[in-house]
Amino acid sequence: MSAESKSNGAAPAAWKARGDMTVLNTDLRRLDGPIKVTGRAVYPHDRRIPGMVYARLVLVPVPRTTITKVDVTAAKAMAGVVYAEATKEAGDETKLLGDDSCVAVVAAESPELARDAARAVLVEYEELLPPMVTREQSRDADAPEISRRGNVEGEQSEGSAEDAAAAFGGAPFQVRATYEVPTQHHVCLETHGAVIDAREDGVTVYPSTQMVSMSQGIYAGMLKRPADEVRIVCEVMGGGFGSKFGPGLEGLTASRLASAIGRPVHLMLDRAQEFQMAGNRSAAYAELSAGADAEGNLVALQGEVDRMGGMGGGSFPNLPYIYRVGTSHFTSRSVHFATDANRAMRAPGHPQAAFCMESLVDELAAKGGFDPLEFRKRNLESPVYHRQLDRVAREIGWHEHPFRMGPAKVDDGVMEGIGFGIAQWYSGGRAGAEAELRIHPDGSVVSSCGVQDLGTGARTYVAAIPAEEFGLRLDQVTARIGDSDLPPGVPSGGSATTGAVTPAIKTAAHQAREGLEAKVVDAIGGEVGGFVWKDGTVHRADEPDRSMDWKAVCALLGTEPLVARGAFDPALVTDDTGLHGAQAARVSVDTLTGEIRVLKMVQMQDVGIPLNRAALRSQMNGGMIQALSYALFEERVIDPDLGLMLTNNLEDYKIAGAQEMPEMVAIIDDEDTRPGTTGMAEASVIGGHCAIANAVYNACGARIRSLPITPDKVLAALGRV
Amino acid sequence: MKAFSMTLPANVAEAAGQLPKAPGDRSSALLAGGQDLLTEMKEHLVEPDKLVNLKSAKDEGLRDVAWQADGSLVIGALATIEDVENEARIASEMTLLSEAAASVASPQIRAVGTVGGNLNQRPRCWYYRSEHAPCLKKGGTECYSYYGKNRYNAILGGGPSYIVHPSDLAPALVALGAEITLVSPEGSRTMRLEDYYTLPDSGDVLSETVAAQNEVLTQVRIPALPSGASSTYLKFKERRSYDWALASVALVLWRDGETIQDARIVLGGVAPKPWRTVNAENKLKGRAMDGDAITLARESALEGAQPLSENGFKVPLTKGLITRAFQKLA
Repeated sequence: MSAESKSNGAAPAAWKARGDMTVLNTDLRRLDGPIKVTGRAVYPHDRRIPGMVYARLVLVPVPRTTITKVDVTAAKAMAGVVYAEATKEAGDETKLLGDDSCVAVVAAESPELARDAARAVLVEYEELLPPMVTREQSRDADAPEISRRGNVEGEQSEGSAEDAAAAFGGAPFQVRATYEVPTQHHVCLETHGAVIDAREDGVTVYPSTQMVSMSQGIYAGMLKRPADEVRIVCEVMGGGFGSKFGPGLEGLTASRLASAIGRPVHLMLDRAQEFQMAGNRSAAYAELSAGADAEGNLVALQGEVDRMGGMGGGSFPNLPYIYRVGTSHFTSRSVHFATDANRAMRAPGHPQAAFCMESLVDELAAKGGFDPLEFRKRNLESPVYHRQLDRVAREIGWHEHPFRMGPAKVDDGVMEGIGFGIAQWYSGGRAGAEAELRIHPDGSVVSSCGVQDLGTGARTYVAAIPAEEFGLRLDQVTARIGDSDLPPGVPSGGSATTGAVTPAIKTAAHQAREGLEAKVVDAIGGEVGGFVWKDGTVHRADEPDRSMDWKAVCALLGTEPLVARGAFDPALVTDDTGLHGAQAARVSVDTLTGEIRVLKMVQMQDVGIPLNRAALRSQMNGGMIQALSYALFEERVIDPDLGLMLTNNLEDYKIAGAQEMPEMVAIIDDEDTRPGTTGMAEASVIGGHCAIANAVYNACGARIRSLPITPDKVLAALGRV
Repeated sequence: MKAFSMTLPANVAEAAGQLPKAPGDRSSALLAGGQDLLTEMKEHLVEPDKLVNLKSAKDEGLRDVAWQADGSLVIGALATIEDVENEARIASEMTLLSEAAASVASPQIRAVGTVGGNLNQRPRCWYYRSEHAPCLKKGGTECYSYYGKNRYNAILGGGPSYIVHPSDLAPALVALGAEITLVSPEGSRTMRLEDYYTLPDSGDVLSETVAAQNEVLTQVRIPALPSGASSTYLKFKERRSYDWALASVALVLWRDGETIQDARIVLGGVAPKPWRTVNAENKLKGRAMDGDAITLARESALEGAQPLSENGFKVPLTKGLITRAFQKLA
């Protein structure tokens, strides 16, 4: 604490230097860890309220139908069924596999009865063919129009085709290739839905959401109640990844039923419904070409991409992605399927674009005979990428790797390879969140913000920031979050939560400290801003012997708690210079069977001020795991003739499990000295699958241009099929 | 799940007596570990009115893994997969059976899934498991996998259905020459496990075995392995944590020095039943265990393979797996 900051409570809030921090920038165990791992945490799905009924949607299992009958008579007559309603009638069409598949809703006294009731609803329909679930079906000249905007629309273009074509003239090394990524599910462990307790004197909604505070007005509208009668509570939730902003049809229906039935309503999707209507990461089909000059500079890029996000627009940022390219021309367009719209999913569009760009770059390096690591660095401007790539290369053992330019010869053995990928995302924060800090005369401290914790660790920094401010232990501060009665949080999107919420908590803590210091001045002299708070005590910076312990300081408050409220302060977040990450992967490939094992992954990322180093590494580990799963396993499969989703469960829709986990090394880039906070989680999912794909090539020469990288593709690329 | 009643028979005979007699009558079903049956019931693939819970049967040996004086091994139908996986002598003397057990599903499932249930489990084909696809295996008229998404389906022995048999224990037990005992109200019979399974074109397409509706598989008997035998079970799983076999190889070799006296090569995950490769086995007899022998074995084993549109890769994959199995025992 500098002696200069002796103003009368007007000093701006500022983060301590990283080296002076005792709570922040350390490994903190997350506060809700114990209740989560012991099963005591009550997720929205677990909420039980006396008198509650269980509601269930009834969906048709194929995309496009003409409904010929929906009859709820039998369901209604069943014992224990309290509600059954047809939401579509004969003659209606269902236009897509998603929300629009819903034809009825039932509610009953138990989840089992609700299932039985849903099956008792008599549904008949005629299928409209083709199902319109593939690129070929959608682009066919005779295809029925499934979107009012047209099956193919939303073209966006950048650069000049002529200039790009001309630039290829200066490129002795050229690659032309087609890349594909599949539709991926979010696979939130907790499915979508809400529990709604509507009473005369007010409504409490327990949604599984990544948007607590802003849901209040939305649910109020759906419930036709004044907003101040509606409270949203979501203290813990089982994952969102971008798919849990709005209430969805499930929240809307739960609201409607809560009013209609007059009892608390529990409406959560099951896994098959989740996969049918809760959004996805869009697929992509990319035809790309790129060229490099003799020195290894990327001079030309041309690309055409179909974004395939069902009825949504699909996500895919314009190429080139991150790398500097002399001249480029890029066009992308939506190709619609009769499936649910894509939703935001952890770094929307970036994992898709990164896979295409990183594969293209890797292919070009191989074609020109350039070292793939040096080739990347040559075409990257930011020194941050250079230092990060160098570090992950060292960590993965690149320099000791015998085959940096790919295998000398593919044999019948198990071969190892290394690959790289990089990532970028937005940094900084935004206004919108507020926080309250309440210090009681007995020394207890409550830090509050309505923000949700998606499993990221937000709850923990809500307490850790005031703990740092007052030199307290983490367990001396109570965090309250996930409640619309608290000061507003922001929706968790774009990795903006931390950048939005932490300044509010910090300014609240700062004001509270100045408020307390004004009291301390009366007791031991000194000036506001002239104290050191450490190890549960405060002492004067100028006379360290004049000190008080925390309890004594709080007792100075008399009978009233000290309450401070904080809001956004742009000085407390990083600037918008962005997030950077680099990944490396080491894999083995059995060249006889096509089996891939990911042996090791390394990720390095800049993170602004590291608030909780354990949580940051945890985010990076999670990013690596999700990327590994995207690389090797995940793919939504819908039968192109029947329209049935064949992978509508977690047996057939495969995600990586414990035995797939490689050694993982997560490295916080401590050379990032930006004096502010930022979110970081999305960047960590962008590069891992790219590194794995490139490592497979490096291992055995099999260039797999479509995800997931399954043994059939490896064996085909090796010429064994 | 459709409501059902459950009976608790005191012994196997009583259980068999409570099962339906008429072929195709699925109004009652035998319950053991429930790891497959309950899934099928939840998905409405079968909807029995009555479950006959074999777990209440108290017959001697029904849960045991018991070595006999002559070196043979008798495994009761209610022994769990975990029981087999953890039995030390199996691991040393019948390594492939131990490896096959360890490769099944997840630790949770192995702890409750039974040997009898594993041998009698139903196919995993996407279309069979989709209630909305009225496929041949469910009494429909079409095998959707023939034209559809068939990367996991059969490359050998298929038609008119192209399922693959999902059991891991079965190929290992067939390779070991195991016999099973079936008990019904009419009496009991013993047969080679190899003869228990049927191909879709040579049996009831709705079933994978020759068992009558009211026959209960009670035990598996594995003859003593002569000394000089070595064995391994290699299973290729797309996802190691929990998956069925894309292909598996159960290999038993009897050697005298470098010479192969006899061999058993049984493939899993590639055909509607455990696929014994007698041709390949015969060609190995008397040969030196070298690269040529391995090539001969893997090429002969896949003779007659007829891949579907998306599963051609299973041919080289299975050949690769056979090679790896031989290398492991070399």
